[in-house]
Amino acid sequence: MERIKKIIRRIFQKPDDLTASDVEELRLDFKSRYHNFKLLLTANNKALEIMADMERALHGSSAFGMSFIRAGCTAASVNVFNMIKNLKQLAPEKYLSLDEKFNEIRLNIDTIFNQKKEIRDTRLVLTLEDVNKDMADIVGSKMANIGEIKNVLGISTPEGFVITSAAYETFVSENNLQTEIDRLFQTAGGDNLQEFDILSAQIQQYIINADMPDSLADAINRAWKKLESKSEFGKQTMVALRSSAIGEDFQDSSFAGQYRSILNASVENIFHSYKEVLAGKYSVQAISYRLNRGFKDEDISMCVGCMDMVAAEAGGVIYSHSPVDMDDDSIFINSVWGLPKSVVDGSDSNDQFVVSRKPAIKLVSEDVRTKKIKLTCFSKSGLQREILPEDLQNAPSITKEQVLKLAGIAITLEGYYSSPQDIEWAITKDGLIYILQCRPMQQIKRDVKNLYPASAKANNGSIIIKGGITASPGSAYGKVFLAEKRADILAFPQNAVLVVKQALPVWASLLSRASAIISEKGGFAGHLANVAREFSVPAIFGVENAMAILRDENTITVDADSLAVYKGKIESLLTKKTVKKNLMHGSPVYETLKKVSGFIVPLNLLDPDSNDFKPANCKTLHDITRFIHEKSVIEMFDFGREHKFSERAGKQLFYHAPMKWWILNLDDGFKKEIKSKYVRLENIESIPMLAFWEGFAAIPWDGPPPIDGKGFMSVMFQSTTNPALIPGVRSKYVDRNYFMVSKNYCNLSSRLGYHFATMEALVSDRAFENYVSFQFKGGAADYNRRFRRIQFITDILEGYDFRVDVNEDNLIARVEGYDKKFMEKRLKILGYLLLHTRQLDMIMTNRKKVEYYRLKIQKDIEKIINQILVRDENVCLDLT
Amino acid sequence: MGNIKSKKLTVLLVDDEDRFREALSRQLSVRGFNVLSAANGEDAVKMVHNNAIDVTILDQKMPGMGGTQTFNEIKKIDPLIEIIMLTGQATVDDALEIMKQGAFDYIMKPMTIDELLFKIEDAYTRKVLMEKKNQKK
Repeated sequence: MERIKKIIRRIFQKPDDLTASDVEELRLDFKSRYHNFKLLLTANNKALEIMADMERALHGSSAFGMSFIRAGCTAASVNVFNMIKNLKQLAPEKYLSLDEKFNEIRLNIDTIFNQKKEIRDTRLVLTLEDVNKDMADIVGSKMANIGEIKNVLGISTPEGFVITSAAYETFVSENNLQTEIDRLFQTAGGDNLQEFDILSAQIQQYIINADMPDSLADAINRAWKKLESKSEFGKQTMVALRSSAIGEDFQDSSFAGQYRSILNASVENIFHSYKEVLAGKYSVQAISYRLNRGFKDEDISMCVGCMDMVAAEAGGVIYSHSPVDMDDDSIFINSVWGLPKSVVDGSDSNDQFVVSRKPAIKLVSEDVRTKKIKLTCFSKSGLQREILPEDLQNAPSITKEQVLKLAGIAITLEGYYSSPQDIEWAITKDGLIYILQCRPMQQIKRDVKNLYPASAKANNGSIIIKGGITASPGSAYGKVFLAEKRADILAFPQNAVLVVKQALPVWASLLSRASAIISEKGGFAGHLANVAREFSVPAIFGVENAMAILRDENTITVDADSLAVYKGKIESLLTKKTVKKNLMHGSPVYETLKKVSGFIVPLNLLDPDSNDFKPANCKTLHDITRFIHEKSVIEMFDFGREHKFSERAGKQLFYHAPMKWWILNLDDGFKKEIKSKYVRLENIESIPMLAFWEGFAAIPWDGPPPIDGKGFMSVMFQSTTNPALIPGVRSKYVDRNYFMVSKNYCNLSSRLGYHFATMEALVSDRAFENYVSFQFKGGAADYNRRFRRIQFITDILEGYDFRVDVNEDNLIARVEGYDKKFMEKRLKILGYLLLHTRQLDMIMTNRKKVEYYRLKIQKDIEKIINQILVRDENVCLDLT
Repeated sequence: MGNIKSKKLTVLLVDDEDRFREALSRQLSVRGFNVLSAANGEDAVKMVHNNAIDVTILDQKMPGMGGTQTFNEIKKIDPLIEIIMLTGQATVDDALEIMKQGAFDYIMKPMTIDELLFKIEDAYTRKVLMEKKNQKK
């Protein structure tokens, strides 16, 4: 009440009546208001930056994770909250309904984040007999398939059990791991591999150190006992623990080799091995893969299959179709001695048998490679590498009969699942075949016509290497990067060619940065080959001596289709360059950002003069920022007038220029205190205002362009139908142009005729804080002409580094983060455009005139920003 | 926009991550701030009792006395100390809750040192203005 009385007293008080104490109080009051206004602007700027980041993420091709979205939402919400708080300080109790709108939008965003996973089966462990293909959300798709093969198709798989997604959730929640994991991701930020390295180690350590929940330990012990009773090894039973993550089969993702398997684990180390497999969810390559494919960390529950260890005499991977040519229905069987690990992890060479299926199953080719190692189970636990006797090194690892048997199984599985399959298998000494894993394969349509272009032959002279197998098709060029150890990952440059000895899954974390891969070992059935195809990165594997022949930093061209590596960049081969797919698009993370940003980014509140410009119509956080920004400017202006406080009342600019220009000094925008009603340009200190004005006053306006009859009729028609153009409905700020200035800040609200523009700029020596934003709309011509004029201005602004958004006939342009000189030039351009694009909407359907003005404007701008033309002081006239 | 360098500001930095706290403390000292630091809420409260603090930078998630409790304890001792919350874990609800309680701002790690620097200056300007207003009353 006391405050209201004071305000009333001030309104009816003459300026001269103010006592020294009143003036001091008003000064302090104004300083506080200016401080609130500055905080409001900072928050507005930050909120707009976040919105721009979100838009860039949605429309760009860079990968982003949930931590980016969460951080963006929180930061946008905090900044909008700050804007509301500071507006309330400027105008207490005036905009209370903003809180309600803000909370409503925030709840909408919360709902998207809080969509909880539903666990439809709470059993912690299931025996394989109880598993089928419809249980992918309980046991993961890999184990669901194994259960189906065992129980429905009757094909041999090892005995075993699955530790379910409910078990994973129990493990995570009882140790409160997700909160800590989210915090570590948030703190790491970005997609820097070095950060991932530390992050990966930290999270894996948390998991390994976490306690095994009692309920889960009991369930696993019970399942183990049951398995022992069935296994031929009884008390000596050993198991292979295989990751089977939920969501692995989503949207053509392979997840090949991204997670961990532990082979030959005993009952003594089953719990530790389980935790190791869970920790494998956070290996560098798995984090990197999920980020690049847009998978949410929290969506992926790690189920673990525990299967009786098969004493494999040989093992490998079958592709029931060619993975690099969709039209080739041959069956590809890759095989090694012992356990199939080296086929999938690409650490050694393997035999390859190709079987055709028409007219009858027939072995059509066999490629028997030198295999020096046989991987077998160690008697206690773990694996051992046996050096093979020489006679076995070059012998085929499986017989022709076994090849045909395996091909038959592949055809059965492909037929059952109605799509080509990637099948891991093992054969015992007795010749029993076990299926260890089965999943849909990724395939690529190969451009056969373009495989060996004539130009490639012409370049034969520059071939450095020839041979190997096509692990992933296409061609690319880049500088050679020889990677020998894991730590080399951190030094890998963007778009280099990765050259390695073994095609290990660990290199997969470089696929978003590598242009091509060359490996001395490995086949196309390995995990790295799989992921290379998924990421459209050309790859040749099995290239002997590649590490010795190729030199770091040398530019090469890799043609994976013709199995050749060329010296230098061969343009003719790059015409069939593979276009990398946008793997984020449509992914769960992408869709979350799309939904969330729908409540943050769109701007619906466009016209401040409209009756709809009110809090009730704010649908997004952007709308709220727009509303608050507009109102805060008005509130700042009103202060000086309402309080009859001359020091902080608007002054009129002495200048011979179209329209009247009013200036409010917010802080240090004038060189000295101005007591009169007018201020001269030479008394203005504001850097952005002076730059803007320099552009505005540099070249006199020629007056409106000559309009044809149609343009004139358009104006007449619009004036009678568009309520925004009727003087009676304009606000009290419509017919004046207002600057609010401090030394480094300037805000302009301008209406020149039918054109409405706002410009705001912060320009100081702190380049990263600098910004210029410009909004322009209106015009007297019809919508088509106004829209064309907006396009015309957009083209000019984009040519000078502005980021421009156009919504109907409303243009919003922004440039930020550049140094003072750069920003001053952009302000000069805006000053010039504000004056010289007036009424250009009239001539926008006349191509010749448009071209004339385009050239004239370009020439003028170049003169202004290159300071060929300096403002003629003589045109400044004293209006007194 | 701010210009408040007439006095050497005293900043209290509270974060349980040693590496982060030490690095930030060094950077703020180099930029002319008088920096005190605490690894937990209990120590921070003691420091507020014994020193004239202008601005506190407070980690939201700390073992023992958490960020919110430390915030309340500091405000009880001196409501004019401006507190900037810093967090590695961002939930909208947590952020807004503490903002409603009067935190000056809420910044998410990782942030740039300049971003933090300007926030400290802005927070200090508010503190000075609030002190002057209180004197007038």
